[in-house]
Amino acid sequence: METPFRYSSSSIVTPIVILVILACIPWVGSRFFIYLVSGILVTGLLATSLNLVLGFGGMYQFHHAVFYGTGAYCTALFLTKTALAPWVAFVAAPVGAALLGLAIGVICVRLSKLYFGMLQISLGSLVWAVVYRWYGFTGGDDGIHGIPLPSWISGGKPAYYAVLLTVAVCFFLLHRIVESPFGRIFQAIRDNPVRCEAVGIPVQRHQLIGQVLAAAFAGVAGALFVVVEGSVFPDMLFWTLSLEILIMCLLGGWFRFWGPMVGAAIIVCLRTYVGSYTEYWTLILGVFLMLIIFFLPDGVLGLAERLTRRHAKVSST
Amino acid sequence: MAEGGSFTLQTILQQLLVGLSRTTILFIVASGMSLMLGVLRIPNLAHGSFYMIGAFLAYSVSAAIGSTMGFWAAVLVAPIGVALLSFVIERGLFRHLYDREHLMLLLFTFSFTLVFSDLIKLIWGSDYRSMPVPEMFQGSIQAMGLTLPLYNAFLLAVGPVVAVGLWLFTQKTKIGKIARAAAVDREMVDAIGIDVQMVYSMVFVIGCLLAGLGGALVAPTQNITQGMDHGIIMETFLIVIVGGLGNIWGALTGALVFGLSHAVGIMVFPQFAIVIPYLAVVVILLFRPRGLLKSIW
Amino acid sequence: MLHVENLQKSFEGFMAVADARLDVAKGDIVAVIGPNGAGKTTLFNLITGQLRPDRGRVLFKDEDITGLPPYRICERGICRSFQIVNIFPRLSVFENVQVAVLAHRKRTLDLMKPARNQGVAETERILTGFGLLEQRDRKAGTLSHGDQKVLEMAIALGNEPDLLILDEPTAGMSPEETAHCLALMKRLSAETGVTILFCEHDMELVFAVSTSIMVMQQGKTIIQDTPEAVRACKQVQEAYLGEC
Repeated sequence: METPFRYSSSSIVTPIVILVILACIPWVGSRFFIYLVSGILVTGLLATSLNLVLGFGGMYQFHHAVFYGTGAYCTALFLTKTALAPWVAFVAAPVGAALLGLAIGVICVRLSKLYFGMLQISLGSLVWAVVYRWYGFTGGDDGIHGIPLPSWISGGKPAYYAVLLTVAVCFFLLHRIVESPFGRIFQAIRDNPVRCEAVGIPVQRHQLIGQVLAAAFAGVAGALFVVVEGSVFPDMLFWTLSLEILIMCLLGGWFRFWGPMVGAAIIVCLRTYVGSYTEYWTLILGVFLMLIIFFLPDGVLGLAERLTRRHAKVSST
Repeated sequence: MAEGGSFTLQTILQQLLVGLSRTTILFIVASGMSLMLGVLRIPNLAHGSFYMIGAFLAYSVSAAIGSTMGFWAAVLVAPIGVALLSFVIERGLFRHLYDREHLMLLLFTFSFTLVFSDLIKLIWGSDYRSMPVPEMFQGSIQAMGLTLPLYNAFLLAVGPVVAVGLWLFTQKTKIGKIARAAAVDREMVDAIGIDVQMVYSMVFVIGCLLAGLGGALVAPTQNITQGMDHGIIMETFLIVIVGGLGNIWGALTGALVFGLSHAVGIMVFPQFAIVIPYLAVVVILLFRPRGLLKSIW
Repeated sequence: MLHVENLQKSFEGFMAVADARLDVAKGDIVAVIGPNGAGKTTLFNLITGQLRPDRGRVLFKDEDITGLPPYRICERGICRSFQIVNIFPRLSVFENVQVAVLAHRKRTLDLMKPARNQGVAETERILTGFGLLEQRDRKAGTLSHGDQKVLEMAIALGNEPDLLILDEPTAGMSPEETAHCLALMKRLSAETGVTILFCEHDMELVFAVSTSIMVMQQGKTIIQDTPEAVRACKQVQEAYLGEC
């Protein structure tokens, strides 16, 4: 009875076109531009993984960066402290992040929305505090620098392609998850957890799985950060980064799949360009955030949609 | 731990007493947050910033006036300054957002932490500051073989005063009663026709005032630095959660759990002392996911 | 099929349900009536697990389901609608019902297959039955109140329940919508053989459809009997006169 599923042509063509354009960048862009785009891709993956639980799951994931940092540290520690094959280090990132997601999730998921977020932010900063102080193992506040990367992904172009390929695969998987039955149930839980329980859905179990998935993808983003930068530092687990990713989701629009990516692109560009003129980037980000909250609550994509709809209405009358 | 064997009852008690005076500060700050959470439902990330501003204000006032007088002036001026600042923010910006989602409110408070952290850098520079312990409280008390710095003893006395004051405020004053009612059922209070806006505004200001007071009181005991907003906000979150959201006595219980377990942590595991209170909180939450005391909402 | 005995629940000293007894046989349409605040909604919440009773037992198909979490109770075949509209406002009408269908088929942990072609036939069959098929792609939050109440019921059917519990299905409906709802309940019972337990203020509707009526007052069950017997019962008349 069930009809086989077909992608509409635009939903296949557009991503492929974008992918091809991105793949061409190393041939035309400067080193700095390649670096900037890699940064956007990594941050975009991080923000989208957050949005899986935030926008689609309605969970107050206030400290998502801790999974990102954990992934990055897993990779870095495996590469520097063990003689294992490099792929082990890269597999360790999502696995380590997912395990942390499981541990924090088990404690937090039983609490109501706001409690969940507040407890998560506190537990996350505990992880930060441990990383920050454990000089012998994590390098403390210096972090770990000069991480030896396998030659096929080190340096500008190879690193860029490794990042692009991984991010593309992750986005494909994330999109499948959002469109899957699990994704649909997840959105139902966001809208109305009580009703979900009443139609036979164990809400907390789904939220836990969602958190573990999101953490794993954040871990992948962390590993990619190591590929791009060759170093890790404790700021990657700091709460301000978590909230910065939240801002990206808000800015892009968190009810849309591509929203966080758009938001990440805008914030990363702003930080790169504005940050080079002034040391008070934080202040500017704060004011910027206030403006978004007051004037752009649906995010950029929401605004774009409103404008095109208005335009369509005008042209049809 | 090598010196683990040398713990005497006295050193343990000594540590706990010092921990207890730290608890006072935690309680003052956390009760402010708890009050705001209970009535306004805002997880105020800027609470830590107000605490930090309180500390920096106290430093400036005390440096300008000097000696014991300077300290009292600081303890008076810093909270009031913070309260004025928060009043302007609440009237000017926050009140337009009360019916938005929690997430928006949280991010909005976060925008203030961002702005304030840079503003403080602009005003006070990024160096460490330190404020001397006022002459009046230099020295220490000896009792039953225990030594307690006078300033810590002063803090121990301030805690109960603030607790009783808050209790009287919520139980006896009209605003306090309305605030408690609003915490339980906001629509009801709206329906009766009480000016809820005014109550919200008051609660917001009092909550921030407590953060400022905490900052002023902590100033003589530690370095006043840029990052102090972060540490305190995590601690108050935990305290408020473990005590029960929006409950003043919960804030006290939570502060005790946190402060005392931290004191124990410093004794047994100095490098990672901070881990112990977190563990204590996690263990409590595993058994009582809704906190120790009944939360108001 | 469903057997409730001595159920009790209090909220901070207020006894919402003091001593509720109820029997529902397979194929019945049972109504629970009583004045406002008699504890009808609380009783339903106790049966379907939204609340845990202080005392008493709930047996379903001879198994004790007292105090199980709601999703477990739903898995066993009891499904419910709510008095206040309780739908998924940001999902489309189709998706609202599909969520229940997916839950019933235990597909909720499926991560990779697209959702949009799962349970389509089943979902559309339910939507057609409730006359909602034309609106299938609208966001549920934008429907009229009456349609939202109908959707509310449709979601409950997505789980193919053996026992359907409806909490004031016609609350806030216009007379036409109420009549429509009545016809719907009768048809459901006749076509699918589903057992229905509902509570309702509209006495006409109650006496028109139910095969058995339970009367509650101040949290206690006064009587459960056939409509004729209930109509004749003196205590019931007093309970209602007392309210007026």
